[in-house]
Amino acid sequence: MQQSIQGSRLVVSNVSKNFGSFSALRDINLDIEPGELVCFLGPSGCGKTTLLRIIAGLEQQSSGSLHQGGVDISLQPPSARDFGIVFQSYALFPNMTIAENVAYGLRSMGTPKTQIKQRVADLLATVGLPDQAKKYPTQLSGGQQQRVALARALAPNPGLLLLDEPLSALDAKVRNHLRTQIRQLQRQLGVTTIMVTHDQEEALAMADRVVVMNNGVIEQVGTPMEIYQQPASAFVAEFIGAMNFIGNASVRGRSAQLGARVLQLKTPMPAMQESVRLAIRPEDVHLQPFDDQGWAAQVETMDYLGAFIRTQVTLRECGLRLVVDVDPRSAHTLGLTPGAWVNVTLPSDSLHCFAA
Amino acid sequence: MSRYPQTLYTVLQPDQHTITRPNDEFMNLSASVTASPSLGKRLSQLRQRWGFTLLLLLGCAVLILLVLAPLYTLLSKSVENKAGDFVGLDNFVQYLSSSAFESAFFNSLWVAGLSTVVVVLLAFVAAWALTRTRLPFTGLIRGVLVIPILAPSLLSAISLVYLFGNQGVLKSWLLGADIYGPIGVVLGSVFWTFPHALMIILTSMENADGRHYEAASSLKASPWRTFCTVTVPGARYGLVSAAFVVFTLVITDFGVPKVIGGQFNVLATDIYKQVVGQQQFEMGAVVSVLLLLPALLAFAADRYVQRKQVASFTAQSVPYKPTVNKTRDRLGGLLLLPTLVFILVILGTAVYASFVTFWPYNLDLGLKNYQFDLMDGGGWGAYLNSIKMALGVMCLGTVLVFFNAWLMERTPQPSGLKGLFQLLAMLPLAVPGLVLGLSYIFFFNNPGNPLSVIYGSLFILILCTVAHFYAVSHLTAITTLKQLDREFEAVGESLKASRCRVLFTVTIPLCLPAILDVALYLFVNAMTTVSAVVFLYGHDSQLAAVAVLNMDEAGDTAGAAAMVVLITATCAAAKLIQGLLRYWLDHSTKAWRQGSQ
Repeated sequence: MQQSIQGSRLVVSNVSKNFGSFSALRDINLDIEPGELVCFLGPSGCGKTTLLRIIAGLEQQSSGSLHQGGVDISLQPPSARDFGIVFQSYALFPNMTIAENVAYGLRSMGTPKTQIKQRVADLLATVGLPDQAKKYPTQLSGGQQQRVALARALAPNPGLLLLDEPLSALDAKVRNHLRTQIRQLQRQLGVTTIMVTHDQEEALAMADRVVVMNNGVIEQVGTPMEIYQQPASAFVAEFIGAMNFIGNASVRGRSAQLGARVLQLKTPMPAMQESVRLAIRPEDVHLQPFDDQGWAAQVETMDYLGAFIRTQVTLRECGLRLVVDVDPRSAHTLGLTPGAWVNVTLPSDSLHCFAA
Repeated sequence: MSRYPQTLYTVLQPDQHTITRPNDEFMNLSASVTASPSLGKRLSQLRQRWGFTLLLLLGCAVLILLVLAPLYTLLSKSVENKAGDFVGLDNFVQYLSSSAFESAFFNSLWVAGLSTVVVVLLAFVAAWALTRTRLPFTGLIRGVLVIPILAPSLLSAISLVYLFGNQGVLKSWLLGADIYGPIGVVLGSVFWTFPHALMIILTSMENADGRHYEAASSLKASPWRTFCTVTVPGARYGLVSAAFVVFTLVITDFGVPKVIGGQFNVLATDIYKQVVGQQQFEMGAVVSVLLLLPALLAFAADRYVQRKQVASFTAQSVPYKPTVNKTRDRLGGLLLLPTLVFILVILGTAVYASFVTFWPYNLDLGLKNYQFDLMDGGGWGAYLNSIKMALGVMCLGTVLVFFNAWLMERTPQPSGLKGLFQLLAMLPLAVPGLVLGLSYIFFFNNPGNPLSVIYGSLFILILCTVAHFYAVSHLTAITTLKQLDREFEAVGESLKASRCRVLFTVTIPLCLPAILDVALYLFVNAMTTVSAVVFLYGHDSQLAAVAVLNMDEAGDTAGAAAMVVLITATCAAAKLIQGLLRYWLDHSTKAWRQGSQ
């Protein structure tokens, strides 16, 4: 079977990149552990692909340095670095068979023919395409081509695997399947992996750690759970999952003054923060049967999304709109219909505070 | 037959080659770096990084030598007197105030304008019939319609002489008018420029979105209204482009007016007269500069208009398929008929006349006219020289064009250098062949130029012809290379394969069809061109197409017809070989091309 690859550690220090007067990356610092799978996540134009291309040496950083496995690779051309790469387009060589594609890197290294044959067969078996060796790329489906590209990148045993939006050209079902397969393969091989994606679901499902980027800077680095539950900035909160921004509140200790109401916070804010943005995720908002005591809200619209109902409500006293995810059972119990009245509760341990 | 120029003209659709890539900042040497690797390592990195740039600089230098430097010499000649002293604009004043200029200038303008209108109309009608009706045998019809591209422009003029000239069989049809003059020039120009216009317009009409037609019919538009609001607007960029191309071709062509123009003076023949007839080189330079102006203007205007074009045929479009409509199909056939007859009659006349013993008195067929060695003009040696030159142009040109295009498109280059190279490579499109030829005399026939040793040899003809037809070949190569996945080289590097290995194992195999197209384009044009080489051939490097001109001038029209037919047949054979190679290539690579097209 597949031998395990010694994944290498990658340290990115103070990397910046300017295109003319436009700064695509500013002072990026990252430390990626051997065998880790890290996702660069962000909207298009955030610099994630540029950072990946700098790590590969396909783009030259304007300043800063890169170390892979303790070796300074800042100045090395791509051919001298140790990585395999899979592009969004796969870039399979269309005039070569699947086997020839996978063998391409092994040929460069002068591996003996018999060994190449064995290794290609092993790799194709690993990615689940053992009987496609003699076919040409155009004869395979998108998902199969993607796996061939993966096998080709892994063939020379790289210490680092770079994946540039590897799944975004595929349809949803294949994408979900491959997501699991890539993750399993990566664990099994132990190869350090960096994946660029704009799909938050993909990043959360696959990564050991997620690097959220925006406008050329890193907004947050953390495990998927940290990123979702403790977003470090309003950008991260909004980009990953859905978030209701309730409004600016003045905070004293644990209590936040929002209009006429006072909300209790889970942790006291530092004294400096006089005014903060309060936010809550749609699934954390609680709806209760209407009575005159609570925070009254009227249901505006209800979108049935299968597992839950995305409901929009408007608070009576301030006109604030909230998105609330309700499971169909509770919706039935509460008798939710557009126009109905409910009470809204914002649990204090679900409230997020961001700098205003 | 139809495939070759089509691909070449596809590239004239600018939406495909105005894309610039943002990612080529490879050369950013401002990178302040923390580590300092050994000197040797650094040097090899520098070589890796700058090697390709040096090669492209070399490519620029070659084009400067072959196009820009000769043009500069021509410009400076136009402001000098015979002794080589600077005289400012005196030559221009002298020429512009001569009566020869006024007639030549206006003659050129109105003849080119009229030919353009006729050709664009005919080509549009033909393209409409080919793409919007369900005529049978469209492949064959297309093949016939583009035949003139395989012939020297002289062919039509010679045929017209046979049909309507002093001994012409149809002379009475002209009702007393004289074919030697504007009528002949317009008819002859229409014949040889028609395929150029047809290819461009066809390209713009072939990729029609069927949904536009469905929308029009669901909105109850009449066929005429659909034609005016969907078909014509869809083809307008093709029409404009074709008009500019035809205008430039006619105004700069010298073969047709030379043979059939009689006393009708145009700018192109005037250059020839000034230089070859009167040895007034500086006056030739003046006329060249004047001829360069409309050509440059048309070139710039075309670029400007094409820039506005956006791709209307996207991945979501549904190709248009004509519905069943007998009346419309008959109309299409009827409209195509005159053009088809015109082309076949002109071509047939040349072929027939070349075998006729003595027109019109002895119509026995024979090979007498093909005994070139008994005639003036260079004989069979000229034909052999043409073959040699065309093969040379084909080999040298294809390699040079593709290598430079590869450097520009597939290796890291500073964007400024890419822009410079693109400009140099496109420049020949705006330079008429006569102008290029004359500027070669000035540049290479200068004893102070170490390159003057090649003057008068076959080699200078090869260089000049490569330069003359560089632009279209370059566009084809660039378009093809752009279509390859952007990341092949990056994948190659990550797999420790050099760019050269990727070039030979991936890029060249994928580009082979386009390489064949360019090779044929260069071969055919080298065989048929007259304008640039007419100033440059020497005693040992006479060419077949020039021999046609000389035989005609010496009064041996039959020999000229035979030579012109021989050239056309050679080009047709080349096309056939290329077609077979294409067929073999498509067949043997079918496995991996499947589904990709």
